[in-house]
Formats: sequence, structure tokens, C-alpha cells
Amino acid sequence: MHYSWIRYWLLFCCLSCSLPLRAAEIILSGAEDNPAIRAFSAALAELRPLDRVRFMPLAQLPSPTQIPADTRLVLLDLQALDWRLRTSGPPTLMLRISRLHAQQRLGNRRPAHISLLWSDPAPARQLRLTRLLVPQAQRIGVLYDEHSQFLLDELRRAATPLGLEIVGQAWPDTHDNRPLLALLQRTDLLYGVNDEDLFNPRTAKNLLLTSYAQQRAMIGPNSSFVRAGSLASIYSDRQDWLNSLNQLLDQPPESWPRSAYPAYFKVRGNRQVARALAIELADDARLAQQVAEGENL
Amino acid sequence: MAINTRASLHLTLLALLATGQVLANDLFDSDSAMPEVLTATRLKQSPAAVPGSVTVLDSALITASGARDIPELLRLVPGMMVGYRNGNQATANYHGSNVTEARRLQVLVDGRSVYRPGLASVDWTDIPVAIEDIERIEVFRGPNTVSYGANALMGVINILTRHPLDSRGTRLKTTQGQRGIHDWFASHGSAWPDGALRLSLSGLQDDGFDHDQFGRDYRDSRRLNRFNLSASQQLDSRHSLDWQLAAKEGSNQRPYGYTPVFDAIAPGDKGSDVKARDYAGSLRWTLDLSPEHSLHLQSSAQHWQRKQVWRACEAEVALSPELGQLWDLNPFYVVKFGDYVKQLKSDPGTAVLPAGTAQEQTLAGAVLAQLDGGATRPVCGDVSQSIRETRYDFELQDTLSLSDDLRLLSGLSYRYDQADSETYFNGALSNHIWRLFGHLEWQLGAHWLVQGGAMLEDDQLSGSSLTPRIAVNYLITPRHGLRAVYSEAVRSPDMYENNVDWRYRVRNLQPQAFGQSSATYFARSRGPGNLDQEIMRSRELGYNGSFANAGIDLDIKLFYDEIHSMISEPLRNDRFFPNNANRMHFSGVETQLDWQLGHADRLRLSYALVDFSASSHLDRPLTARHSGSAGWLRDWGQGWSSGLFYYGADQLNQYHFERLDLRVAKHMVIGTTALELAGVLQQRLDDEPMTWQENRHDQRHLLYFSAELDF
Repeated sequence: MHYSWIRYWLLFCCLSCSLPLRAAEIILSGAEDNPAIRAFSAALAELRPLDRVRFMPLAQLPSPTQIPADTRLVLLDLQALDWRLRTSGPPTLMLRISRLHAQQRLGNRRPAHISLLWSDPAPARQLRLTRLLVPQAQRIGVLYDEHSQFLLDELRRAATPLGLEIVGQAWPDTHDNRPLLALLQRTDLLYGVNDEDLFNPRTAKNLLLTSYAQQRAMIGPNSSFVRAGSLASIYSDRQDWLNSLNQLLDQPPESWPRSAYPAYFKVRGNRQVARALAIELADDARLAQQVAEGENL
Repeated sequence: MAINTRASLHLTLLALLATGQVLANDLFDSDSAMPEVLTATRLKQSPAAVPGSVTVLDSALITASGARDIPELLRLVPGMMVGYRNGNQATANYHGSNVTEARRLQVLVDGRSVYRPGLASVDWTDIPVAIEDIERIEVFRGPNTVSYGANALMGVINILTRHPLDSRGTRLKTTQGQRGIHDWFASHGSAWPDGALRLSLSGLQDDGFDHDQFGRDYRDSRRLNRFNLSASQQLDSRHSLDWQLAAKEGSNQRPYGYTPVFDAIAPGDKGSDVKARDYAGSLRWTLDLSPEHSLHLQSSAQHWQRKQVWRACEAEVALSPELGQLWDLNPFYVVKFGDYVKQLKSDPGTAVLPAGTAQEQTLAGAVLAQLDGGATRPVCGDVSQSIRETRYDFELQDTLSLSDDLRLLSGLSYRYDQADSETYFNGALSNHIWRLFGHLEWQLGAHWLVQGGAMLEDDQLSGSSLTPRIAVNYLITPRHGLRAVYSEAVRSPDMYENNVDWRYRVRNLQPQAFGQSSATYFARSRGPGNLDQEIMRSRELGYNGSFANAGIDLDIKLFYDEIHSMISEPLRNDRFFPNNANRMHFSGVETQLDWQLGHADRLRLSYALVDFSASSHLDRPLTARHSGSAGWLRDWGQGWSSGLFYYGADQLNQYHFERLDLRVAKHMVIGTTALELAGVLQQRLDDEPMTWQENRHDQRHLLYFSAELDF
């Protein structure tokens, strides 16, 4: 009780005394507290000198209802989301959340005043990248399990305007290569979805070696996989997230989308894999620009 | 608890300075523990960048062809001359040379050479691998001793089986059809977190050709069973282990394998069948030192066992020690002496004992006395052509990526070969072979790729050799490349050619010959022991292109190959005088096209035009000037698929060959079980025998059916 009282008092002081009236109070929070998070917070503060930007570990935050409504919360992990979901609270931007995590926690529900910023590469972008790199690929193979099956709908919606066909294949047991082989044999390319059950350091070797043995490129699911041997992927690094966040924070919270992919992104390509698969790979910045140009059409 | 924002900021800055950008980026980098998998050491060149011509027969093509064994598949390779000595002895020669002596191709199963050391042959029927276990076959068309060692003189056939991890579940298959076809295959694969294993059992049986040129039943059927165990284990993130065990047993029929000197003597047996057993074990250990550096050690042990014992009948005089001595002194005198004996029978008045040395004449006199004493009477005994061959092979290979554009492959290998045969080698003969090899790939900008290497080999029986190889590829784009290749290659004379000591010890003689129950047949042959290596110089210009939007992959090759110091003598046990006096050259053009027409149709064409000259008449008959294949694979939907293939050669060992193969299959899924029913019809489009005049079928068509369960 004693500690709670001090906490509220300090928070009050922070929120009410220290900044000019027009400045916004931006609190970044998460259960995790590490130098990377602190550095991110500091960088955001630097981008928004007029706002008061601070990181507060989740444990030090009161209930969302006790945080003034004009504060903007930026949450960095799922524990923070769980905390925020308990009650109503100030407008919140939720970072580092995947489509799969949101589905498991929220289903199709999108709570008010919370804007979910997906950590997944945007399917439309990823597919545009695919079309740029492997224009002849028509049938895009997608592995899924019971948790990630719902992603196929969005993928299909993104694929149709590009003239691509999504061919799904359930992969319930990652020790059984038969579904993977069957999929590679009837598709032109493997598209990695952001499902950690299927695409993780333990499965990477088999996925990449099997795809390569069938002379099929893999796109995505993230930049780590590109380092491992995937052909290319859209990704957003710290600077992209800072820029995307900055853009949203410039807008009134009422106009924040319920969910969105980051506005800024990059492309990472694996030149050696491209060479081995005889795929022409422009430099990463040029590819990102081409993908972005497609977005404005 | 107080919030000390100042302290936090200091900590943050300190941390940022201390850890750099890496930690900061980790916030949005999903997994920094991701291994690097497709590293420079694991990736291969794209087709347009390969320093030579390669034909890949993938699993879809293999299945659609309906082929039951590997040589039939090789008809899809441009320039490959596939023939048959008989129904169970297929031969594959790239471009040509002597049809019966297909000894200039290297054949590997998962990196293990199955080229027999003793008799310089590949027993296609006896390779312990089922076609159902083959994932793909890569055929390197051209010499490549730098990568594959001596004997990769004219090409390399690399048979790659399905990885155990891709073989999970159970497969059962049976194939039944005309010409006595009874094949079966059973396989089960299981996997665990860091490994996988596959066990396959299979069998094959057919009657071979139906009759010879005289309409007589042809004894050339085959029956075999195989066992294969293949396992893969990831020991940790850097070490992996793959091992295989394989065995094969079976019986290959042969016609009665002896022609008596005296016509009136009846055969002593109905055939001279071979009982063939092959055993192989291999172990491959791979160590990924870093994404840029990997090492692998492959070792294998193999044993070939051919048991061929039959009962042969001949006139007693053929076992005369004196006739044997005469042969050893001068085989040509024995030939003249034979003519003299015939003359004695038909026209004694004009017969004159051939002139010779005193010793030759004395021995001839003794043999004549034996003939007068009744040595023309038939005697029968057990004749053996059995042989056991053993090979141990160790290879250490290092792959080092010096930069994104420079890769070095180097290694060291040792091979021990032993052949043990009383008949062929009068005991056991062994050979030690050391190899040192290096190959460098250098990408010069976006367009140029230079690849070169050399191999130094020391063969205990035939000496040392150094063979270089250089290729320049110009990549117009990553998918379209022009190549110019110069390579030299050698083939070491095999144990037979160089070191044969062929003599038949005939046992269990009845009646006894000259009072003995065992004796040595008079004719014998010895290898000269001083044969040099054959040398090949090959020049190639080529184009490889992939028109991705049209789904077309195209390869064109122009070639000019010369073989010098060629050993053209066939293996025979009378008057066997091999030498390096022959030469041969090949020139021509080859092309292959693979066209994926939409999702349902695939067309595949191959064609070779080969011109040649050969100093030995034995090397001339095989080469077809025009040969090729055309295939159409179609997925008709609802589980129906078909493969239609045409194979043609204007003259293969002087016989025209054209055949149309159709395979129709229906794939059904019942719960978690897949069932595939297929029928194959092969229709010869001509009435010619196959390769040799005795290889004939009763009917021009062949029909067989298969059923496969997969669960």
C-alpha cells in the first residue's frame, strides 16, 4: 500500500507538473526491461522533443483506469497487453504483437482505444516482393497449423489482386516432411507465415534444405530466416518502428487504426541464395522502394 | 519504490554504448538464435553457372517414365547409349566406345562409387538400390575427374536416394506384368527430433529377352532381393551423421558359357548362371565449422560377390598340360596347330605340322600323341568364373567460402581395391589409390564465373596422373549463361586389363582327364602389367537458359572430345593383348528442353547428334548418330495423370531402336492412405533386336501394372 501511494504520487507529479500544456505524455511500458527497450524509448523521446516520453516498467504502472486519458500508452509486450485489456484506459499503441498472438488472445475482437501494430510482415507487401523477385511464381505454398490457419484468408485477399494463388497445406507435425514435400511439389514458392510453431530455429534447417533441394525459394517469414537462407523478406527494424510510431503519435488517437502494419519497412534479401536459385536480386533499398511504390497504386 | 528517471537514462546510454546496435535491434529481430542454413558451403551453382552439362532426372520424371530400372531412365539423357548384353546386363555408354565394355562412366549412389574395381564394369542389375528410393539422378555429361576421380572419363551418373527425413510413413508397391515381371517394394520411414531412418526392402524379377536369333529360348532372366537402411542424425548444431547399409542377393541367368573346340561335344549344363551378392555400408560425417567453412568425411566399404560355377564339357585334349605349355609359349602356334589338326581329319595328305621352334614342335608332337591316344573324348568338369571384390574408400572434403565470390573445394581421398578370383587373377590382387583435389569457383562481378581445378592421383598399379579442368561461364543474366570448358581426364586401366591372369581350373572331372580329377584349361591370358592410363581431352561450348515466364529450361552443348592411349580390347581369355594404341574422337551437338506448360502439362525433349571416328573397329558400332527422347507429362485432374515417352536412336550397335511408352496412373486418397494404380505400355516401333542380334522379344509390346499404397 505504501509503495502504491508513492507510485501514484510520482506519476501525478510526472504527468501534471513537468511539461508544457500542449505536450503529450507518452509512456512506453512492458514487463521486460532491458537496455534495448530503454534505448528505444530514448530514441523515441529524441524524435519527439515536445512530448514527454518515458519508459516505465509494467510493474510500476497503476491500473489503466488511473492513467490520465490524454496519456498515450505504447506497450511493448504481451503481458502489458494483458494488463491493458483488464479495464478501459488511455489510447494505446500495442507493438511487437503478431497476428497469431492477437488471434489467441482476442480472436476477432478489437478492443476500443487499442491499436494493434503487427509485427508480421504485411502479406500484401510480402506478396508484392514475391512477385518482383519471382515473377513466374503463380502458386504460393503456405504451411499452416491449427493456430495459423486463419492467416490464409488475409493472404488470399492480398494474393487475388496480384493474380497469385495461395495453396495451403496443414503441417501438424514438423517432424513429418511429407506435407512439406507435397506442398513444394505442387507450388512454385514457399511463403513463410509468422507462426513460431512452424518457423523457428529448430525447423529452419529442414525447411530451408528441403525447399532448396526442390529448387523452391522461400519468402519470409522474417529477416532472421533470410539470414538463415530464405530468399527475402519484408521487415521493420527499430528505425522503421520509431518512424511508424512517430507518424501515429502525430495523429489524434481517435484516428488511430484498430490494427495496422508499420508504415515503414525494409527488405532484406539473401544474395547467395538468389545466386544459387538464379534469381536476380536488386539491392535491398531499391526493392523496398519498389514494394512501397506498389502500395500507392 | 521510487522512479529514478535520470538513473534510467544513464543506464540506457551506458548499455547502448556497451552493447552497440545489436541489442537495440534485437527488440524487433524475431530470433537471433536462428542458424545459418543455406550457407555458401551448402549452396550449389545455378544451372546457368555450372561448369559443364548436367541432366537432372527428377522424381516426377522418374515416376512418369514408368521405368523399372536405372538404365531405362538413362535413355532420357542426351547422348547416352543404353544397350543390353542380355536381359540382365544393361550397358550405358556416353556417346559410345565398345558396347560390351562400358567402363568409362563413373556411377555413384549417394557419393559411393559402384564401379567394380576388378572387372571394370557397372552391374546395373545388381546395384542395391530400388528405383522407388531414388529422389533424382544427376548426370554430368563430360569428363570430371577433378571432382569424381579417375574413371569419370566420359561422364558421371550420380544417383541420389530420398533423404530419410522425406521418407516418413509406409509404402507398399507391387508391379506385375508380361515377360515375367514380378517386382515388389516395401519401405518404412520414421523420424525423431534430430534424426530419421528409412528401411526399404525390394525385389525384382523378369524373364529378360524371349528368344535368340535362331528362335531358341534365351536364358537371361533375373531375380533379386534388396535391403536398404538409410539414416540421418543431427548430432548438434554443427555435426551431422548420415549412414547407409545396403545388400542385394539375386540370380542372373546366363546361357551356357562355353563353346567347345570340338563341335560334337554336347553342353554339360543348361546355363552358367551368376549368383550375385552386393554389400555396402557408408558413413558420412559433416562438420559445419562456420557458415563459410565445412568439412565432411565420407567412408564406405563394399563387397561384390559373383558366384558363377557351371559344368562344362570339352575334349580331354583341352586339358592337356602340354597343350597349355604350348599356349604359354606361343598362342598363335596353337591356333595354327588347331588348323593342322582339322586338316588332318579332312585331308591328311596335305596336312603339315606348322613350323616352329624345337620346343613348340616337341610339345605339338606330344599333343598329337594324346589325340591319337583318344584325347578327343569328352570330359566334363566344374568351371568357375567366380570373383569377390572389395573396396574401402575414405574421402575428406573441405569447402571454404573465402568471400561471397570465391569458394574453394579441396580434399584428399584414399581407396583400397581388392579383387579375389582364382580364375581371373590366380588369387587376390589389390590396389591403393591416393587422390588430392582442389576446385576453385570465382565469381567476377555479376557476369563472369571462372571455375578451375586439378586432381593429382597416384594409382599403385598404373602410376600417377595430374588432370586439370577449367571452365568460364558468362552469365548474361542469372538465368542465362554461356560456358566454355576445357578438361582433361584419365582412366586408369582396371585390374583386369592390366593384371589379369586368367586360367580355368576345371574340377570334378568325369571321366578324369589324363588320370587327374582336376586340370587347367589350355588357353589362358595375362595382362601386360604396363598399360598406361587413357587420356581424354574435352572441349565444350554450351548455353543454359531458363525462360522463367514461359516455363522453359534449355541446354545446348557443342563438344569435341578426344581419347588417346585408348584400350579397346574386350575382356577375353584367348589372345588377349591389350594395348594403348587406339584413339577415338567425338564431336557433335546435344540439347535438352524442359517445358512446363501451365500447371498440368510438362514437355521434355532431348536430342544428340554425334559424329565420331575410332581407330579400333570394336569402338565403331555402338554410337548412334541421331538419338533422343520426347516426353509429355500431364496431370488430368481428379487423380489421373499420364506420361507419354518416345525414345529413338537411328542405330544403336547397328540396330535401329524406337519405342513409345505410355504410363497412366490414378491416384486416390482414402482417409490417410493414398493408393496409386498405374499401367505401363511399352510399344516398340520397329522389329529390330535390342543391341545384339540374340536380344529378341516375342511381341513388340510390353504391359505391366503397379499398385502402390502410401500411409
